[in-house]
Amino acid sequence: MLVKDVMHSPVLTVDASVTLEAAYHIMLQRNIRHIPVTREGRVVGMITDRDIRLATSPFAAGGARPIETPVEQVMAQPVVTGDPLDPVEEAARVMRQRKIGALPILDGNELVGIVTGIDLLDALLRLTGVQKPSGRLEVCLDDRPGELARLSSELAQNNINIHSLLTYPCGENTVTTVVRIGTLDVRKLARDLRQKGYEVRWPPEIPGKSL
Amino acid sequence: MSVPVIYSPQYKLYNFGPQHPFSPVRLEMLLDLLEHLGHPLHFVEPAQATREDVRSVHLESFVRRVEAAGRGERSPDFDHYGIGTADTPIFPGMDEAARWLVGGTLTAARMISSGQAREVLQLGGGLHHAQKDLASGFCVYNDLSVAIRHLTGQGLRVAYIDIDVHHGDGVQWIHYDEPGVLTFSIHESGRYLYPGTGHTHEIGKAEGTGRKLNIPLEPFTEDDSYLEVLQMGLEPALRWFRPDALVIQCGADAHYQDPLAEILLTTRAYAKVFPLLRQYAADFAGGRAVYTLGGGYSLDATSRIWAMLYLTLQGLPLPDHLPEPWLRRWGTQLGHFLTHTLHDLEAAYPEIPRKPEIERRNRQVTERMLESVRPYWN
Repeated sequence: MLVKDVMHSPVLTVDASVTLEAAYHIMLQRNIRHIPVTREGRVVGMITDRDIRLATSPFAAGGARPIETPVEQVMAQPVVTGDPLDPVEEAARVMRQRKIGALPILDGNELVGIVTGIDLLDALLRLTGVQKPSGRLEVCLDDRPGELARLSSELAQNNINIHSLLTYPCGENTVTTVVRIGTLDVRKLARDLRQKGYEVRWPPEIPGKSL
Repeated sequence: MSVPVIYSPQYKLYNFGPQHPFSPVRLEMLLDLLEHLGHPLHFVEPAQATREDVRSVHLESFVRRVEAAGRGERSPDFDHYGIGTADTPIFPGMDEAARWLVGGTLTAARMISSGQAREVLQLGGGLHHAQKDLASGFCVYNDLSVAIRHLTGQGLRVAYIDIDVHHGDGVQWIHYDEPGVLTFSIHESGRYLYPGTGHTHEIGKAEGTGRKLNIPLEPFTEDDSYLEVLQMGLEPALRWFRPDALVIQCGADAHYQDPLAEILLTTRAYAKVFPLLRQYAADFAGGRAVYTLGGGYSLDATSRIWAMLYLTLQGLPLPDHLPEPWLRRWGTQLGHFLTHTLHDLEAAYPEIPRKPEIERRNRQVTERMLESVRPYWN
């Protein structure tokens, strides 16, 4: 999943000369928190609702700024940006490391989109969500080449489609593999897999179940 | 007055093959058990659903492919319609067979809308996973939604209640934006079990918002917790919605013996659930209700649970022991032990250590569901 698949466009921008008051009203009206600031069409900074509230607060160091102050005096710069072809996890890592809530996306010098923390949550929901009727199979695989291929060929032999697949490390040399598969009868498959030596974590074995 | 029972031997045509869990043997064992219990069976013959009936819910493109598959034709796009998958394999005449099950549930709905009966038991159907353009989870056509469409078409408000262990996703999505249909499904959480949906945040859309209710249960939920949250979630919804009729999918796969899921109900829970639903029909829906079968893959458990459903609806006493000849016949045929009593044995499964946590989480999830739908109840 790439940044261009989750970003929002077109992007609302303000000119560097716009006042804090005007920028704040735009944020309220559009229900947004981040606006890229441009000068002669090029992105030169980012202004957030928090920047404005802090700058105009009586608690601000040096006193509250007047609301007529141009955004260029308050905006964050230089801007941290992303590329539309970056993978989403790259955007997430940058935003996490810099502790920022939005990333303007530039194709060369042209602003083509913006990614916010909310967009990344949407991406997470798409990656982990259920788009098609499916059951959960969780298998602990050895962390070596071919293990996933072995598991997926078992599914293929049973004419069972894989709708999504997630893996994460568990323990020293094993990987938890969570597969959403297009069958109602996951327990039968789990039984077959256990007989073949797989460590199936879900569905669990339950004594007393009939066949 | 006895409750009419709808059944046709044609139902047994809906057969995905000997290895498939959705087996017509379930029906044979049930009917045989009822006869052995000394209750002569009188059935209302259903009319097979027509193509137009099916089209009231399903898309033309889908129906055409089911018909073609049943005629032996093959097409690479069947996959997209869920046809010819591991769960819903192709069999000859699958369109006709599925239309018999739809016809049964539709006949039941017609008997109710015409005032011919108040309660009707359909001994089949309950194919709640089928979507308008998708066969899924053993379900080709959605008999429940065709029946619901008939009832709403007659101006009736319908509450659909689904106690199958799997989320009633097909029915929910088909009526997702309809204000005249309340859907309520209590099931093992989709985080674990097929079809993966049925979360509390699925509450309907547009005019239907607040009228689609889901209680996703923790795996290993037991009788007491199930009964507690069923009443906690369903009663206020029916009290508010005031349906004209209930359509109830009585899947029996939340039983602890069921091989496909992880909920641990015993027959003692079902012995309370069926009278409770009947009471709800009387209190909130003018006594009008269609009961269908559904999932249920432990032959031992489903025969006993559905016999209990039949006996409850007919107002007949529940026997302790099951008839010897029936036990012998089916025990021999299946090659394994069958429970000798209508009820499960005491302490039928090992104690569940997480019980208090499971009860707390089920309560919490039901509260959350009610909190999210109640703002739309006005």
